[in-house]
Amino acid sequence: MFIIKTVLKILIIEDEKGLRESIEEYFTEAGNICEIAGDYETGLTKINLYRYDCILLDITLPGGNGINILKNLKENNHSDGVLIISAKNSLDDRLQGLDLGADDYLVKPFHLSELKSRVTAIIRRKSFNGSNVLLFNEIKIDLLSKEVKVGKRKIKLTPKEYALLLYFISNKGKMVSKNAIAEHLWGDGVDIADDYNFIYSHIKNLRKKLMEAGCKDYIQAAYGMGYKFTD
Amino acid sequence: MKLLARYNRVNLITTIIILLITGFAYYQAISWVLTRQKDKDLEDEEMEIFEYVALNHHLPQTFETKHQQISFAEAKPNSIKREIVDTVFFKKWDKSNPKRYKYHALGEYEPGRALISSVTVTGKYYRILVIESKAETEDLLQIIFYITIGVITLLLIVLFATNRFILNRLWKPFYSLMQELKVFNIADPTAIPKLDTSIDEFKDLNAVVFDMTTKAKTDYIALKNFTENASHELLTPIAVINSKLDTLIQTDNFSEKQSKLLSDLYSGVSRLNRLNQSLLLLVKIENRLLQDQQIINLRELTEELIVQFDEIFNDKKLKLSYQLDDKEIYANRYLIEILLSNLVTNAIRHNYAGGEIIISLTNENFTIQNTGENTPLPFEKIFTRFHKSSGSEGSGLGLTISRQICENFNLGLNYLYSVPYHNFTITFPEQA
Repeated sequence: MFIIKTVLKILIIEDEKGLRESIEEYFTEAGNICEIAGDYETGLTKINLYRYDCILLDITLPGGNGINILKNLKENNHSDGVLIISAKNSLDDRLQGLDLGADDYLVKPFHLSELKSRVTAIIRRKSFNGSNVLLFNEIKIDLLSKEVKVGKRKIKLTPKEYALLLYFISNKGKMVSKNAIAEHLWGDGVDIADDYNFIYSHIKNLRKKLMEAGCKDYIQAAYGMGYKFTD
Repeated sequence: MKLLARYNRVNLITTIIILLITGFAYYQAISWVLTRQKDKDLEDEEMEIFEYVALNHHLPQTFETKHQQISFAEAKPNSIKREIVDTVFFKKWDKSNPKRYKYHALGEYEPGRALISSVTVTGKYYRILVIESKAETEDLLQIIFYITIGVITLLLIVLFATNRFILNRLWKPFYSLMQELKVFNIADPTAIPKLDTSIDEFKDLNAVVFDMTTKAKTDYIALKNFTENASHELLTPIAVINSKLDTLIQTDNFSEKQSKLLSDLYSGVSRLNRLNQSLLLLVKIENRLLQDQQIINLRELTEELIVQFDEIFNDKKLKLSYQLDDKEIYANRYLIEILLSNLVTNAIRHNYAGGEIIISLTNENFTIQNTGENTPLPFEKIFTRFHKSSGSEGSGLGLTISRQICENFNLGLNYLYSVPYHNFTITFPEQA
């Protein structure tokens, strides 16, 4: 049985102050420890001094290329999770990053909730100790078979509802915007829908299925702006 | 008309005219010289007659040679005016001459020159007529005529050969340059090659063309780089706005009005981001940076796409029907996904609730038909950047990107309106 570690140690290597601060603030809540590095040198020093659950690594940094930090980590056999956040949306860069041992690659601009969900997934994979079960109060999710139970009752979710539930749990206690959910579930396809009505039906269905199985109502809506999954 | 043909025509006409004039001048000159010669001969003959008469006091015997006839006739005193005229010379043939039997004649007429003069012999006044044949003169002139014609013919042949073998080679650099310009592609990094020629004009032309195309390419690259850099630079502020919005909505419980404002802000940023991504993508496609190609099964890809868009079809209550045959093409998968997705997106976006979409895939083409506004779209405008129908929420780049993708893979992209459907058709290249 595995429960998401309550205290996470995260390093943010990002030169853009505004973005760095937002990420820091978003991750610091809930007792997580966030350290920051604004340039290549600081980043390199930190990764050689401390270990982190996850490192958010920008590629274009003042003083050097973020890829070298990744190489340095791997050369020293450090197993920190690495999520590359890059402005470069090219397949080559993505493949190079992943080949060098990064765990994921996220293209700027992104939603913080998306970042959080990716980081959570990385940490989950990293701390995977023969267990693949995620617990949230009475909700129990088998990450391999994608089976969801509320208490003892199995509930059947569509792939989108399942992804939505995981996304919410990753961002529990956070207000998640409708845009972020739409982009998470549909990717590029969302620019069709001028409003995101179809998200509403997915959330309605998910909520209905959870509550029918005896789950508490964790999903709060905020005037069409977004949703919050809270304890 | 080719410059060469034009030049040849002028050249030939002037040369022939000059040759004809020359020939005519020759003819006149030689004719004049020969006639004077004849006239002198005639005068010599007259002189001889006078001398003979003065010495012998009677007329010489009239005699006839092959080339000369002399005759005397009594005339009224002082009635003869001395003159030299052109006339005909009757040339008698020999008895053995076969022409006699052939033409049943005693001889033939040849051009001749006659001297009419007078002499008084022992009180009697005689008219002297000396005729000389001008046949040799005519022969000579004929030869001159033939030579002139011969020279003209030779000149024509030489000119023709020159054009054929030399001028074509001389113009070769020009034509190869033309060919280069024809296939000139501003996006292609290879420069116009230096011509191998020693002709100054072509060297100059080559240099000018080289400079011009190089400049065009540099400008084009600069423009592209600008677009790319601008889009890249925009990414960071967009990322900051996005993350700040995400942070902002965590801060408090917002009122309905505030939520609505934030929602609109999110939409705005999201559109800005998509627009920016589209621009970046367009630059990448134009630069042909996405080169890895593979065999793509279009039927499977379209089916995946239909599944992906399923909720949106339902949400807008669109009636979708499709007929998909198996079809494979060799292209970049990512780009073909974007292409199909763009077309489907447009068919959804410009449709009305409860409308219809028909997708068909055959071995020849992929067609997507959709209901929508009842007026055809302006064909020449829809593929240009930032052309948007009123009220469209798109980036205005979707069809530009689609067309560019089609161009990269030699696919045709066409639009047709046939009531009540807007048809977009991708035509596959003929298989070799």
